[in-house]
Amino acid sequence: MTFGRLIEVHEREIFAYALRLTGNRADADDIFQETFLAAFRAWPPPRSGNERAWLYKIATNKAIDRARRARRTAPLADLRLAAPERDGVTVADLAAAVRALPAGQRAAFVLRKVEGRSYAEIADVLECSAAAARSRVAEATKKVKEKMT
Amino acid sequence: MTMLSPLLDEARAQLLARADREGLIAVGYGVMDSPLGPLWVAVGPRGVLAVHYGARPDERELARITRAYGPGVVPDRRRCDRLLAELDEYFAGRRRRFEVEVDLSPLTPFQRRILTATARVAYGEVTTYRDVARKAGNEQASRAAGGALGANPIPIVVPCHRVIATDGSLGGYAGGLPAKRRLLTLERGETAVPAGGWAPSGR
Repeated sequence: MTFGRLIEVHEREIFAYALRLTGNRADADDIFQETFLAAFRAWPPPRSGNERAWLYKIATNKAIDRARRARRTAPLADLRLAAPERDGVTVADLAAAVRALPAGQRAAFVLRKVEGRSYAEIADVLECSAAAARSRVAEATKKVKEKMT
Repeated sequence: MTMLSPLLDEARAQLLARADREGLIAVGYGVMDSPLGPLWVAVGPRGVLAVHYGARPDERELARITRAYGPGVVPDRRRCDRLLAELDEYFAGRRRRFEVEVDLSPLTPFQRRILTATARVAYGEVTTYRDVARKAGNEQASRAAGGALGANPIPIVVPCHRVIATDGSLGGYAGGLPAKRRLLTLERGETAVPAGGWAPSGR
C-alpha cells in the first residue's frame, strides 16, 4: 500500500463525506487534506484492509474538532438558521438543519441518513457503542424534523 | 459525481503539495500514452525507478519501490516531466540517448551489473544475452542475464530491447515481442525486421 493508492481508492468518498459534514467547500477542502495528511503521518494504517474506516474516523474527528473550535470563536450568525418556511421545505433548509446539529450528531446523521451506514459502522467511526450510535442518530433526526416543521 | 471532479482535483493538488512540503513524498508517478500503449512511470529522489508497460503498476515492482523509499509514492506528473518529455522525443525519433538519471539501487548487484552493461548498448545496435553476461563478468550466465533483462524495471530507457538471442532471433521482452520489434525498427530507421533478423554487434 502506498499513499498514492490510498488517495486513489478513497479520495472521492472522503471528499464527498467532508462536503456533507461541513456543507461548504472551503472547510471540506481542509478536512479532506488534513485527513489524508494525518493518515500519512500516522502510517501504517492500524489494520490492513480497513483503511476506509480509518479515514472516516480521522475525517469525523477533524470535523468535530473544527466545529468545536468554530463554536468557541464563531459569531452567532454562523449558527443562525434560515427563517422556517412552512410550505415548500427546500434542500437548503434541510442542509441548514443538518449544519445546526452538534458535530457528533451531525456525523452520525450523515453516516446513517445520507451514506446509509449500519449502526455498527457508525459506532466504529465515532468510537462509541452501537446503542450510542443509534441514539445519536435518533436525537439528530428528531432535531432535524423539529427544524423542518 | 462528475461535478465533484474539478473540486477534487484541486483539493488533491493542495494535499500533495502540503505532503511534499512536509517531506512525506519520495516518489512521483504518472501515466503516458505512447505508440506502444500506456506506460506507467515512476521517478524517485535518485532518478527513474520504473517504466512499466500498462496504465497500472506491477504490484511486485511497487513493493520493491516502497521497500526502498517507503510509502510516499504518489501521482505527481511534475516529478516525471523530464522523463516523459525524453520518452516523447525518443518515440518521435528525435532522441537517441536518455539523459535522465536512472536509479538501480533497489535491485540486486547482479541485476545492476546486467542493466549497466545493457545501458551501454548504443541506439540502433543489438547485442546478445551472452555478450551482456560477459560484460557483466560472467559469460556463462546468459540465461540469468535473460532473467534479469526480463525483469528490467526501466525498459526503453535501459534498452533491454537491444539484447537478442545469439542466433539472431528476438528472444523475449516484457512489453511483448511486437513492442521489441517496433523499438528496434524505429531505432534502425527500418519499417520491418530484415529477412534473417538483425546481426548482433557483440560477439
